[in-house]
Amino acid sequence: MRMFWEFFSFEVRLRRKSISTYIYFLVWFTFYFLCVASESFGPVANANGKVLLNGPYANTVYATGASIFGIIIIAAIFGTSILRDFQRDTYQMLFTKPIPKFAYLGGRWAGSMVVTVFVFSGCLLGEFAGTFAPWADHARIGPNHLMWYLQPFLSITVVQIFFIGSLFFTVAALSRKIFVVYVQGAALFMIYLIGITVFSATRSLERFWSGIFDPIGFVYLDDITRYWTVVERNTLLLSWSPSVGAGVFLYNRLLWLSVGSLSLVVLWALFPMSVEALTAASQGRRAAKAKKQEELELRPVRTLVATRLPRVHRVFSTWAQFLSLSRLRIYMILHEIPFWAIAGLMTVFAISNGYFAGKVAEVDVWPVTYLMLQAVEGGATLFLYIVAALYAAELVWRERDVHFDGIHDALPMGETIDWLSKLLAIAFVEVVLLVVTMLCGILMQTIAGYYHFELLQYFKELFVVTFPQIMIFALLALFVQTMVSNKFIGHGIAIGIFVLVPILFTWGWENTLYLFGNTPPYTYSDMNGYGHFVPALFWSITYWLAISAFLGVISIAWTRRGAEDSWTARRRIAGARMPRLIPAAVLCLLIGVGSGAWYYYNAHVRNEYLNAKQRRQIQANYERNYKKYENQPQLKVVAVDTRVDIDPARRSFSGWAHYTLRNKTAQPISEVHITDSQQSVSNIQFDRPFHRVSSGPRDIYSIYALDQPVAPGETIAMTFNVGYQSHGFRDGNEKAELAYNGTFFDSSYFPTLGYSQGLELSDPRRRREEHLGPLEEMAPRGDPAQSLYSLFTKDSDWITYRAVVSTSPDQIAIAPGYLQRQWQEGGRNFFEYSMGSTNIADFFAFISARYKVKREDYKGTKLEVYYTPGHEFDIDDMLASSKAGLDYYRANYSPYQFAQYRILEFPRYRTFAQSFPNTIPYSESIGFIGRVVKKNDIDITYFVTAHELAHQWWGHQLIGGNVQGSNMMSETLAEYSALIVMEKKYGKDNMHRFLRHELDGYLRGRGGEVRHEPPLALVQREPYVWYQKGGQIMYTLADYIGEDKVDAALHNFLMQYRYANAANSLTTPYPDTRLLEADLRAQTPPELQYLITDGFDSIVLYDNKAVSATVTPTADHKYKVTLVTQARKVKADGNGNETPMALNDYIEIGVFKGKKDEEQPLYLKKVKFTQEQNTFEIVVDEMPTRAGIDPYNKLVDRIADDNMMDVTH
Amino acid sequence: MAVTISDLSKTYPNGVKALKNVSLSIGNIMFGLLGPNGAGKSTLMRTVATLQEPDSGSVHVDDLDVLAQKNEVRKILGYLPQEFGVYPKISALDMLEHLAVMKGVTSPKERKEMVDALLQQTNLWEVRKKALSTFSGGMKQRFGIAQALLANPRLIIVDEPTAGLDPAERNRFLNLLSSIGREVTVILSTHIVDDVRELCPRMAIIANGELLLEGAPAETLAALNGKIWSKVVITDDELKALESQMQVISTHLIAGQHEVRVYSDSSPGDGFQPVDSELEDVYFFNLSQQARN
Repeated sequence: MRMFWEFFSFEVRLRRKSISTYIYFLVWFTFYFLCVASESFGPVANANGKVLLNGPYANTVYATGASIFGIIIIAAIFGTSILRDFQRDTYQMLFTKPIPKFAYLGGRWAGSMVVTVFVFSGCLLGEFAGTFAPWADHARIGPNHLMWYLQPFLSITVVQIFFIGSLFFTVAALSRKIFVVYVQGAALFMIYLIGITVFSATRSLERFWSGIFDPIGFVYLDDITRYWTVVERNTLLLSWSPSVGAGVFLYNRLLWLSVGSLSLVVLWALFPMSVEALTAASQGRRAAKAKKQEELELRPVRTLVATRLPRVHRVFSTWAQFLSLSRLRIYMILHEIPFWAIAGLMTVFAISNGYFAGKVAEVDVWPVTYLMLQAVEGGATLFLYIVAALYAAELVWRERDVHFDGIHDALPMGETIDWLSKLLAIAFVEVVLLVVTMLCGILMQTIAGYYHFELLQYFKELFVVTFPQIMIFALLALFVQTMVSNKFIGHGIAIGIFVLVPILFTWGWENTLYLFGNTPPYTYSDMNGYGHFVPALFWSITYWLAISAFLGVISIAWTRRGAEDSWTARRRIAGARMPRLIPAAVLCLLIGVGSGAWYYYNAHVRNEYLNAKQRRQIQANYERNYKKYENQPQLKVVAVDTRVDIDPARRSFSGWAHYTLRNKTAQPISEVHITDSQQSVSNIQFDRPFHRVSSGPRDIYSIYALDQPVAPGETIAMTFNVGYQSHGFRDGNEKAELAYNGTFFDSSYFPTLGYSQGLELSDPRRRREEHLGPLEEMAPRGDPAQSLYSLFTKDSDWITYRAVVSTSPDQIAIAPGYLQRQWQEGGRNFFEYSMGSTNIADFFAFISARYKVKREDYKGTKLEVYYTPGHEFDIDDMLASSKAGLDYYRANYSPYQFAQYRILEFPRYRTFAQSFPNTIPYSESIGFIGRVVKKNDIDITYFVTAHELAHQWWGHQLIGGNVQGSNMMSETLAEYSALIVMEKKYGKDNMHRFLRHELDGYLRGRGGEVRHEPPLALVQREPYVWYQKGGQIMYTLADYIGEDKVDAALHNFLMQYRYANAANSLTTPYPDTRLLEADLRAQTPPELQYLITDGFDSIVLYDNKAVSATVTPTADHKYKVTLVTQARKVKADGNGNETPMALNDYIEIGVFKGKKDEEQPLYLKKVKFTQEQNTFEIVVDEMPTRAGIDPYNKLVDRIADDNMMDVTH
Repeated sequence: MAVTISDLSKTYPNGVKALKNVSLSIGNIMFGLLGPNGAGKSTLMRTVATLQEPDSGSVHVDDLDVLAQKNEVRKILGYLPQEFGVYPKISALDMLEHLAVMKGVTSPKERKEMVDALLQQTNLWEVRKKALSTFSGGMKQRFGIAQALLANPRLIIVDEPTAGLDPAERNRFLNLLSSIGREVTVILSTHIVDDVRELCPRMAIIANGELLLEGAPAETLAALNGKIWSKVVITDDELKALESQMQVISTHLIAGQHEVRVYSDSSPGDGFQPVDSELEDVYFFNLSQQARN
């Protein structure tokens, strides 16, 4: 024991004296300090705005994060403690003494453990200190609870240190090679990342085993907390109980604790405490080597007489020297195992990512080249940067590291040649890796059965866009390594710069011109190629290449050569070399300054430059200054006649509009207020005398006074010019609406009358930052004022619409309405669209692109799909869905108010489809490339098309008032309609998988709620409620009371309330969800009324579970299943506080045959439940395999997995 | 090729004075630089080999100013540093080929002849395709010699070239060097007196950064003629007594007994025999003279 203590205290003492211990501690301290002290740093601060930064969930996330990034530190402490003796050859002395194995291994191990735990305690202390930072967001910092710190630390961090540390310790002790330890660490890290990527790419809903086998913890963390509400996140820790979260956390910790212990047992068993055994293997090899050398040396020695050496001619060719040096450097890199290890890992990573390129959220799509590039390049990029940093250092230091500098430095070559050969070597290996990346992409496209290889796009992306950016970083790394006195300091600085750039970005330092190597974001689109991103990319890359090349020239001057290491000597030598380098330096500087100036001129002079915070300030100021006008009565737009000329090549448009405005109120109105959020409106005129009263900064809000007020019922004309001119390029934040091919902008470029609530900041975190109060709640249902406003457009109800749109001669321009005329004039294409006398919602868009068109006439409705050539995949699917939808909606809801339905592809800069009157702009990334591989695949294109079509009813016929709940009457009903259309095609049984994803989406959504979750009928701004929850509630309702009943209710509701407020005065309020509910209740039998109460008016969650299921054969050759179930029901408030509810519900029980996920029902029945535990005896004809309660997850249940179980004998 | 070193001084940042006003003139011969470890030999040689900057003074090779025209000097230079390593995973042949290109041997045919000849001369022919990193110390040293002799250098600077060589290889190397030394200037540093004795027409002794002596070995021996006395002492006490009384320049162990060599104009006393002066005596005499001053 005394010896144990000796080794233990030696280890601790050594670490106490080592600066690295304190650096590790400080790294953790700083990191977790910032996680709490800065609202823009760290995993929790950047996410949900209501979760406490020092709360139990935050601490659990921090501890898990430390588990993965701490691997390196754990390896460094545990690995080296045992290797020290072998690296310094002290083992010879140690093991010849009688030391007990326990004292040696145990002492070293325990010492490392204690030191590591101390180092990691920096996390806790940093976080604790962060809570006192005066500048922190104290709304998100709660009182510090000791338990909230200690429990995650002990159960996650310390267990992790034990497990990973013991593993490293064992590997180090048994291999006795530092290289193996590092490789093991890197491999563990990489394999984990790959595993996580693969796992998340599959979007599998399997959670139990993946959670238990997760060695780091992100999977179980997500398993357990994914549905946690804010209240739970601020009160709950991961429980040790086996009954909470199926015990995943407990079993995971026990599993990895035992793996750690097992590795120590293995070490105990295998570690030999004798010098002979420890060196036996290597001694054998070493002895063999020595013997071989001896043989070589003993070969017959030639004559001692020296012959004369031949005479040679010496021609000094810098080119030959450059080639020879480059070849040598490349040869050496290519002959290194680490390089191939990195290349191999990169390939595995790229391939595994590439495999999932054709899968987006469990939906199969064609792996088009941009998706494949995104996948393989995304997998490879990190490796490319690692290689750049690593080999910049290796090449700068290699001669010194291997002590060849004496010979190398005295060679008759210029420093430039030497330096260029290093650069070329890095460039060469990067090109090799990029080619490998490209081949991975092509390979994975081939495997996926996609043979349209766009080699030019691969080339552009990998070699024109990515390669220079990596070389910029490589040049920086070469520079840093040249200047610093030690390779590892150089690595630290290079990594620091790499990491710092994104951090500065989140802090509002977003300027490309000072963030090293930064380029503005870009998106490739099949429609628009690299489009308008090219100039900004080109100039920023040129700028940074020139600057890094300048650093390169400086590096040449400062190249170490010879024995001079002191700063003064190096400066003198650099000064002496500089004159010859000045032309190159000046050239680089000129290019840098020139391209930088051009970039600056474009991004800051021709265009206004605003960072994210400044943009938020504009929103905040708008709210501060003008919210007071929110309820001032305004005129309403009743007719729009517009002319828009689109110039796609200039990403600009201009035009004018003629609005007819009507006073629908009972009082005269003498002021017109105009919000011009895009600064696109000018020259506003009225057909009566007026003057401008005031105008805010950027003309965002202007007030016009009419000399003669508009009388109730009277109309006036307003004309204005509208347009937007793109100038040069911006530093990111390019307008996605304007593209060379694929222009799509909507009425937000047109003036809005009055204050627009939609411009307000909604993120509570950002509102606090701007000292704005909480976002105003929407008005309650029945609010007399807001019920008179349309949910979508406050300044209009229904309008007539006519537009003339022109575009370039190769493009088609589209706006809502029927095409009246089409002609060419002045080399441009003109189109005139009109809705005639059909009223539409005041929501229109303009689209222009080079399209192919597929047209079809279906029962009097013209169906048209405008698409990019090459994107033919989904056209028929879209048409089929449109037809099915038209049939169903016309038959069950109401007639279709238009004679056409058009789908128009637009670039993937935005990823949605949106329903304008008879016109659906549809992003190229969510439709057009869909692919149905297996029969039960989710056909997302079919679903989205049906959803958008349904909006022609729910949103374009029926519009709710500007009150709580109204959003569900468009989105939930469209979602429900689409679910039914999909069910008609794919059958009821295939809906289960889709509904599981809807349920998952809802439960995750409420976990991320930043305000409070409303019941469905009171939904305000919560998409997860109006889409996923709404769809599920409605679908289940239809399942319980019958689809026909729901359709009847919807039909009655629609026919009664559609086109509300179409009259010339504000007479009838818009409908709200109370009316919808009433119509649904009218169709619902009394015993099922609770479904509507639960589903619409409150937040109800079930906890249903199959407890046991056994089968016994009966005498008449049938099978009797005894099923025991548990059913619970709770009600939650907006924050997630739950209270139990009494059970009086119909819940389905079922018995199935077939294996898991492919079950076929043998018995399915809704049974009334009044108590928690129930036992059923069910006799079925065939041998059952599965049984359970609510097997199809029709009810909202946080643990959907345990509803069914295998039937046992 | 004449190397002229004038008033060379160098102080390292840690305060060590490596060279103190050293001036030397080296003609077209093999020149031996003798001195104990840390005497400043390597600093001097590195300075001539363009790898180090002096604080003051100048070095010229014929008309070339070494400090200003480094690359011109490098073109005629063959340099073997005292300690050097090799790149891993690269063979002696490939490395010599590369270095030959770097040294301007651009004709492939000539390069092959030269490299092959050197591999033969340094007895590395058999292992020419083996990775340098697997070489033993002696083999590595021979590779170093081979690379220093590539491309007919006219100025060869070899720092402790015989360190790590076995006696046979050392002889071979000295032969090789002397066969070349007839045409070029060779500066050879060593702390082994025999190297100088066997090879160098002229020599210098350096210690503590100072030049103690420069001349032909024969001349320097003549100066000590008849002034070196030897005695064998049995006990340590006796040795200590001698050391305190007279100028002992060296002691050797001969079969466990100390042979003491003393510098004296006349017989220092009982038991001392006059002996022929050897180069080693010159060396130790100069060192001990410096230590006394």
